[in-house]
Amino acid sequence: MVSTHYKKPMSLPVAKNTIIDFNQVSFQFPDDEEAVFQDISFSVQKGERVVLSGPSGCGKSTLLYLMNRLYPSNCDGKLNGSLQLWNKDAANYAPGEINARIATVFQDPDAQFCMPNVEQEMAFTLENLHVPRKEMERRITETLEMTGLTPFRKTTIQTLSGGMKQRVATACAILMQPGVLLLDEPLAHLDPLTAQEYVEWLDRLQLSRSLTIVAVEHRLDLWGPFFDRAIHVQSSGTYPVEMNPMRSSMNFPKRTTSIQSVVAFEACNISVRMKEKQLLQDVSLCLQRGEIAILAGPNGSGKSTFLKTICGILKKSDGHIQYGIIYPGYVPQSPEHLFVTQRVDDEIRFSNRTDDATIDDIMLRLRLDEIQNAHPFSVSHGQKRRVAIGAMLADKRPVLLLDEPTSGQDASALQELFHLIDERAKEGFAILMVTHDMTFAAAIADTIFLLKNGELTGRFENNGLLKHAEVLRDHKLASPFGACPHV
Amino acid sequence: MSSRTWLHDMNPALKFILVVISMLTLAWFFNPWTPLIFFLGIVLLQFLFSRVNWKIWFLLMIPIGFTAIGYLWTTLLFAADTTGNVIWVWRGFEVTDEQWKTALSLTFRVFAFSSMSLLFAFTTDPVKFVMSLMQQLRLSPKLAYGVMVGYQFLPVVREEFILIRHAHRLRGIGKEKHAWQRLLGMRRLLIPLLAGAVRRAERSAFAMEARGFTGERRTVYYEPIGIVGRDWLMTIVIISLLTVSSIGGLLLS
Repeated sequence: MVSTHYKKPMSLPVAKNTIIDFNQVSFQFPDDEEAVFQDISFSVQKGERVVLSGPSGCGKSTLLYLMNRLYPSNCDGKLNGSLQLWNKDAANYAPGEINARIATVFQDPDAQFCMPNVEQEMAFTLENLHVPRKEMERRITETLEMTGLTPFRKTTIQTLSGGMKQRVATACAILMQPGVLLLDEPLAHLDPLTAQEYVEWLDRLQLSRSLTIVAVEHRLDLWGPFFDRAIHVQSSGTYPVEMNPMRSSMNFPKRTTSIQSVVAFEACNISVRMKEKQLLQDVSLCLQRGEIAILAGPNGSGKSTFLKTICGILKKSDGHIQYGIIYPGYVPQSPEHLFVTQRVDDEIRFSNRTDDATIDDIMLRLRLDEIQNAHPFSVSHGQKRRVAIGAMLADKRPVLLLDEPTSGQDASALQELFHLIDERAKEGFAILMVTHDMTFAAAIADTIFLLKNGELTGRFENNGLLKHAEVLRDHKLASPFGACPHV
Repeated sequence: MSSRTWLHDMNPALKFILVVISMLTLAWFFNPWTPLIFFLGIVLLQFLFSRVNWKIWFLLMIPIGFTAIGYLWTTLLFAADTTGNVIWVWRGFEVTDEQWKTALSLTFRVFAFSSMSLLFAFTTDPVKFVMSLMQQLRLSPKLAYGVMVGYQFLPVVREEFILIRHAHRLRGIGKEKHAWQRLLGMRRLLIPLLAGAVRRAERSAFAMEARGFTGERRTVYYEPIGIVGRDWLMTIVIISLLTVSSIGGLLLS
C-alpha cells in the first residue's frame, strides 16, 4: 500500500449542495450483539465522484444499502441518528421513491436482471416508475445512444460478457435519470482489462452527464485517478477523507524462485474436442517441482478446459499426460464446489489417502486447525480456498491447479493468496494458475504460458512477457504497470 | 402460409383459459367419441395454424401413447363394472362392450388432454405468457417478475450444476460402480447448488428493488399484450371444435 495522507474534511459544506448526509448515524442488525456502525458521519456533494473504501467485511455494502434505502426496511435493522438525502430525512421518502433518485449498480453481473433482453430490461425499469409509453421509447433510445449500447438493444442479456452486463446495468440505472449513481464494487467480477475499459467508459459518461457517483470499492488501484475524494470507512466516528485518491498497483514481497530440477508434470500435445468443437489443439506444457506457472489468455480461450483436462475431469481426445502416481489437484474459482462433507476436518480426510500425522501437519500449515469443526460452507472465502487446497494436499497430489483465484479479491486477500502459493511452491509442489491479473502474475510467476483460441501461443520467463505490450494486448491482458494510464 | 403463425401469435392468457375450459368440459364426457374428435381436431388446428416441429411432437407423444395403452389395458383387466354384452373371450377372461367403451374413452381422453397441453406448450413463449397473465388476468407483479427471474436463472443454475459435478468428479464422486450409489451421491450436489441459488435470489431481489420495483401494479406497459380480432377468431374455432366434439360424441354413442 502507498502511504496515505488523510486530510481533515474541509470547512462545512454548503448545505444546498449536500446530497447525502450521515450525521452521527448508528446501525445494528437485529441478530447482532454489536452495532455495525457507531455515530458515523460523512457527506457527499452534488457532482462529486466519491469512493467509500475499506477492506472486505468493514460494512461498506451496508452503508450503500442505507443510502439507497434497501436497509433498514429489508433487514429490520436499528437505525439511529440523522440520515438526510437532499436535506430531507431518509425515512420520509415513499417506498421506491428514493430508488429512482439514487440508482444502484451491483457487483454480480449475473444477478441483476430479470428480463430476457436489454430493451425489455430497460422497459422494466421505466414501468416501475410509471413513465408514459412514448417517453419510455424516447428515454430508452437516448440512453442507449449515450452509453453506446444501441447495437445491443435486442440482445439477450445472458449472452453478453460480464463487462457488457455491467454496462447494461449502468445504463438501466442512468435511465432513471437519478441524482446519484451508486456503484457496489462494479469491477469485482471483471478481469483487469475489462475493468479498465469500464472505468474509461464511466469516466466519459460522467463527464457528459455530470452525474454524482458514489462507489464502494476495495481495489482503488483499478480506478486510476477516477475519484475526487475517498472516504475511509470505519466502524465509528467521523470518516477521514482523502482528496484525489490514487493507488499504484499492489506491491507484493520479492520472492526467490523455488524451482527444483525434477519434472513434476508433463502434458504432451493435448487436444480436446467436444461436440464437433475443437477446444484445445496440441497444447504441450511441462512443470518442474516448486515451479509457479501462470496460464493466461482471453475469455473462452480454453484455459479452464485445459486445467480440467490435465486433472482428469474432462476427457482428452488426443495427447498424453505424465503425472506420477496421481492426477494434479484442482481448485475451482468457487472452492466450495469441491466440498462434499459437513465438516472441514472430514473434508480434508475425505479421500482417505493419508495418515493422521500428515493430515495434522497439513491442518497446521494451512491454519485449518482453528476451523476444523466448522461447516465448510460457513467459513470465509479465503478459508474455503485453504480447505480446498488442504484436501488436494491430503490426496497427495503433486501439482496444484488454481482457476482464477485472484478474481474479486481485495488487497489483503491477494497478499494472503501470494503467501499461500509461495509456501506450497517452497514445499515442492508445482503450481499452475489461471489468472487475468498480470500484476499478481508478475509478482509470483516463474513462467507464464499464453493460450489463445485453444492453442498455446507462448511460454515466457516472467520478466520476458511483461515487456511485450503487444502480446499482452493481443491476449486481452492489462499491463501490470499502472492500472489506467490514460484516464 | 402466414396463417401458420396464428396460434403462436395468439394472446397467451386467452389461450390458457381456452385450454382450461376445454379440459374441464371434456372431463364431463364419458363416451369415446368426444375426446377422439377433439384430439383429431387439435392436431388439425396445429397443422393449419402453427409451425410445430412434428418430429419433437411425435417423440413427446410416445410416452403419452404408452400411458394411454396402459389405461386401456388396466381398464379392460380390472374394471369393476362387468355389465353389458360379452364381445370377446380369451382363456376364461371376458370383455364386455361397456368395459370396452370405458377403456377407449379413457385412452382417448389421455390423448385429448395431452395434445391440448402440447399445443399450448409448443406455441407459447413463456416470457410472453407470464407478461400476459399479469396484463390480462391481473397476476400480481411480484409473482410474475419472480417467475421471470427464476426463468433467467435456469441457464446459470445449469452451468453451475456442471461446474459442481466436474469438481466432484475430481474427488471421486460420480464414479461409483452402481447407479443407485451415483444417485445417492447427487444429494451432495444440492447443498452447493442451493447455497448459490439463495445468494443469487437475494441479490436479484435487491437489484430489482433498487430499480424502483415495489411490487405494486403497473400503470403503463412498454410491450402491451392485447387481444386482437384474430385471437377471437381462434377462440371461436377452438370453442366450435369443443362443441362439435361434445355433440358429435353424444350423437355417435
